[in-house]
Amino acid sequence: MKTLALPGTLDALEPLGEFVRAAAAEAGFDAMAAGRLHLAVDEMATNSVTHAYEEQGREGQIYLEAEIDDNELRVALEDTGPAYDPTTRADPADLDRPLEERGIGGLGIFLARKNVDALLYERRGDRNRLTFVLHRRPASRT
Amino acid sequence: MAFSSQLEVANNVAKITLAGRLDASTAAGFRNLVDQAAAQKVKSVALLLDHLEYMASAGLRVIVFARQKMGVAVKIYVVGAQPLVKETIEVSGFSQAVVLLPAYDAALIEK
Repeated sequence: MKTLALPGTLDALEPLGEFVRAAAAEAGFDAMAAGRLHLAVDEMATNSVTHAYEEQGREGQIYLEAEIDDNELRVALEDTGPAYDPTTRADPADLDRPLEERGIGGLGIFLARKNVDALLYERRGDRNRLTFVLHRRPASRT
Repeated sequence: MAFSSQLEVANNVAKITLAGRLDASTAAGFRNLVDQAAAQKVKSVALLLDHLEYMASAGLRVIVFARQKMGVAVKIYVVGAQPLVKETIEVSGFSQAVVLLPAYDAALIEK
């Protein structure tokens, strides 16, 4: 298992992207699948930095883990913000409305969910933990 | 690749070239250019994305901002988007609000 701890600021997004893409490549996923996973983790890390830390006036870190087995790649993202489960949030209801009438909330979790096979939440001690799961299909195995 | 953004206004078209990775840490640069373009009362906006490797929802929000700031009469063209960027625009329901083009089409955009 690989791990990485980053400061809970938006500057973490670039090294986070490198970490996630490297894990996807190691698990044999192509660039498109790696990009989708990157997008999912990036969106949720942006929410962590913004809502768990900056808006609360708190400082903290975000923690990444990547684990590969025969069946799947699992990337976990943790923050130490107040308990919050984004997976219970409904998809935006206005996706088919004209842009000038749309709200801008909820797109991040929508994209995160859309771009992985499963997105799981748990509260572990003082941490929110999101796990992003990609199934390793036969064609994508190395 | 680091993010970069550039604005060029000519023939009533604001051409905004984006390259690298557009995420929440870099979207402010894009938004500033949209603000500058809006002040020049252009008829259309062309987002030139051939070298944009990646776009998160922060980039989509700037497109919403552009639409809301410039009004519905201003056409927004998204030119040369790479597959994942194009997919992100489409699944988010933005493809009805912008025109996706594989390459810059002066006859269409500058008419």
